[in-house]
Amino acid sequence: MIELTRREVLKGMAGLGAAGALPHILSGSAQAQTTKKRELVVAQGGDISKFDPHFSTSSNDIRVSFNIFDNLTSRHPNGKLYPGLATEWKLEGQTTYRFKLRPGVKWHNGDPFTSADAKFSIERTYDAAAKTMVATALSTIDRIEAPDPLTLVIHTKKPDPLLPARLAFYGGQVVPKKYLEAVGNDAFNAKPVGTGPVRFVSWVKDDKLVLEANPAYWGGKIDADRVVVRSIPEAAPRIAALLKGEVDVITQLPPDHGERVAGNSATKVQGALYAGLYVLAVNSKRPPLDNPLVKQALSLAIDRDAIVKELWRGRGIVPSGPIAKGDNHFDPSLPPLAYNPTEARERLKKAGYKNEEVFIETTVAYVSNDKTMAEAIVAMWRDAGINAKVEVIEYSVRAQKNREKSFKGMFWSDPTSTLGDPDGMMWRLLGPGGPQDYWRQPRFDELGNAARFSVDEKFRGGAYREMTKIFLENFPWIPVIQPYEDYGVQKYVEWTPNPNQQFEIRRFNFKFHRA
Amino acid sequence: MRGFLPFLGHRLFRALIALWLVSTVVFVVMRLSGDPVPLLLPPDAPHSEILRVRAELGLDRPLPTQYGVFLGNVARGDFGRSIHFREPAFRVVLGYLPATFELGLTAFGLAVVIAVPIGLLSAMRRNSFLDHASMGLALVGQSAPTFFLGILFILLLSLKAGLFPTSGRGDWTHLVLPALTLGAFSMASIARLTRSAILEVLRADYIRTARAKGLSELLVVAKHTLKNAAIPIVTITGLQFGTLLGGAVVTETVFSWPGIGRLAIQSIYNRDYPVVQCTVFLSAAMFVVINFLVDVSYGLLDPRIRSH
Repeated sequence: MIELTRREVLKGMAGLGAAGALPHILSGSAQAQTTKKRELVVAQGGDISKFDPHFSTSSNDIRVSFNIFDNLTSRHPNGKLYPGLATEWKLEGQTTYRFKLRPGVKWHNGDPFTSADAKFSIERTYDAAAKTMVATALSTIDRIEAPDPLTLVIHTKKPDPLLPARLAFYGGQVVPKKYLEAVGNDAFNAKPVGTGPVRFVSWVKDDKLVLEANPAYWGGKIDADRVVVRSIPEAAPRIAALLKGEVDVITQLPPDHGERVAGNSATKVQGALYAGLYVLAVNSKRPPLDNPLVKQALSLAIDRDAIVKELWRGRGIVPSGPIAKGDNHFDPSLPPLAYNPTEARERLKKAGYKNEEVFIETTVAYVSNDKTMAEAIVAMWRDAGINAKVEVIEYSVRAQKNREKSFKGMFWSDPTSTLGDPDGMMWRLLGPGGPQDYWRQPRFDELGNAARFSVDEKFRGGAYREMTKIFLENFPWIPVIQPYEDYGVQKYVEWTPNPNQQFEIRRFNFKFHRA
Repeated sequence: MRGFLPFLGHRLFRALIALWLVSTVVFVVMRLSGDPVPLLLPPDAPHSEILRVRAELGLDRPLPTQYGVFLGNVARGDFGRSIHFREPAFRVVLGYLPATFELGLTAFGLAVVIAVPIGLLSAMRRNSFLDHASMGLALVGQSAPTFFLGILFILLLSLKAGLFPTSGRGDWTHLVLPALTLGAFSMASIARLTRSAILEVLRADYIRTARAKGLSELLVVAKHTLKNAAIPIVTITGLQFGTLLGGAVVTETVFSWPGIGRLAIQSIYNRDYPVVQCTVFLSAAMFVVINFLVDVSYGLLDPRIRSH
């Protein structure tokens, strides 16, 4: 119904910018790089839908739930796992993990945190009666014991090298057993109680969420008394709110707006290399995409450097394969995916390509720059002699096609590395029965399965190297870019974004510069 | 007011038919447009999960059954539970209504207070500078896309001049820019229509008579013109009021104003059937009520209509 895309805003803003209305508007107090503020205001592109962390995986929700709640383990912005509500853990044998829990932690309502909460919380995620939206997140678990209040023993069905990583991401937020059982799901969702650095105060939908600092937080009280989360859906007003100093941090800063934020004396751009890739996922069952040579040609005909430079203003890197930079088993010796249109034509000839139509069904702003990139890529493909076409589909149509696996050719996907490991990315999505299972190769499947259930990292490294090789011959995804996820931040805020969209406001990660 | 009760009964009956039709169309169109479940679950959720959640939400039942349940519930004022928020849809929509009324009423007030006098003055000073300037502005107001206008206001009046906040809801300063943006189109429409309605009346014989018998221009306008030009003005004003209350999708999105227009559009994207149905039903109901009030006001304004 609204045909207003981000693009149009940008055009509007560009026009106004040209008219001289824009930069260097701020002066005086806004230029201060220190602050006396006790309130952190964050603006994101969409509102929260639910507070119960087991009922949502949307990025707008988890930015909040990872701060109201804690996980047993915690993935910091540097990509490494750290203690959370568990202080240490070790693998005993192949399938048993023993977690030591943090003593003295209290829920926001004053109840003590114990292993009974952790057991209840994890079991709740896959309990059929609880009907959560994260039923598969921790389904490798067979059973859990809580022998004493500060010990948790988890038995997995098969060896699971990634259990501590799984517990750090969605589904792993620990909820309070006693409170939840007393008030029920709805009341808990309306008034959540966690152990995290902020506690819930009030929420007016699509207006603002108010949180206050938990003074007794085990990780130390954060450097603010209150945190306010606002939703400003359009990029232009979101940036205006930052430039005017109404908000301290904005999420989803489009790459072509970075210069405005960086060029303003009071604000800066803060980015994290996305823990994942933007890829064109391929329906490899549809001819001519069932022919690996055609897919190799498609990949070779994309000038990714130009896309990074022109469409992303340099805010991204060219991927080398299916594993995101920063993940376990990423191979730094692999070269970036090559651009060679001559070779692309050769492979098309070898493939016996007969000018069949090749489609990209693109969304608009499902991932940033999707439509623009699709148009650019199709132009590159046509130059290489491929009969390529773009079709635009709406987000929920994409969801439907995704479920029915009925895409006509290629479609945008932004596989997130949920576990900092290829298992949580390529194998989760491309594996047999996965949501992007359009292509099978016996050796690839054998290795993916073996790596999933092995606790021998050396073996896993070898398996992912070989899988990468098979991937680069078959291209079940055509990786396009690993972008930076940029935030606009006031200079008086010191904060490091997390590559996987967790938005951690904790003492180790956030501070106001004081005069 | 002879026959007012039958008139009322007739209107009420037609209103119910209209509401039933609107609800049915929304019900059918929403279900044709897609499934909410894949949007709720993580992208890697297996098919069995999707089936389970569909069954939980009652979406696995045949459409006629779902429709029967829906109609029965609506008759009792129950619009079901929001799929997205997991709370009663009616309560969700109710939470958004105050913001919508606040913005809609302000925009409407601004539009009427500014547009009617401008239209009147333009008609009385036809072809003057005032007439040309205000009708030119009205043309801009009618043709400038709301989106462009909103961003323009933010950049000029908020960011550059620093007069108002950029977005969000709060004290009265938060209200100015969205109300101006939202009211611009209505203002322009009302001003132009007021001008032409007044011009029409000013050409009438009885005005010539009034002037001929030596009445002052002020009296001519106040006593003879305004009341006779009122019907088209009240009609367009009423319709504009309905539109303003029906939710202002674009304005609310640009200014992140928490009103039902924004709720409606997000609920459509989320395929949150119950919330969409409830929003549309309430908007349609408001429209029906306003139309009814406009109809009744005709009777008050024009004795000829009353006697029919």
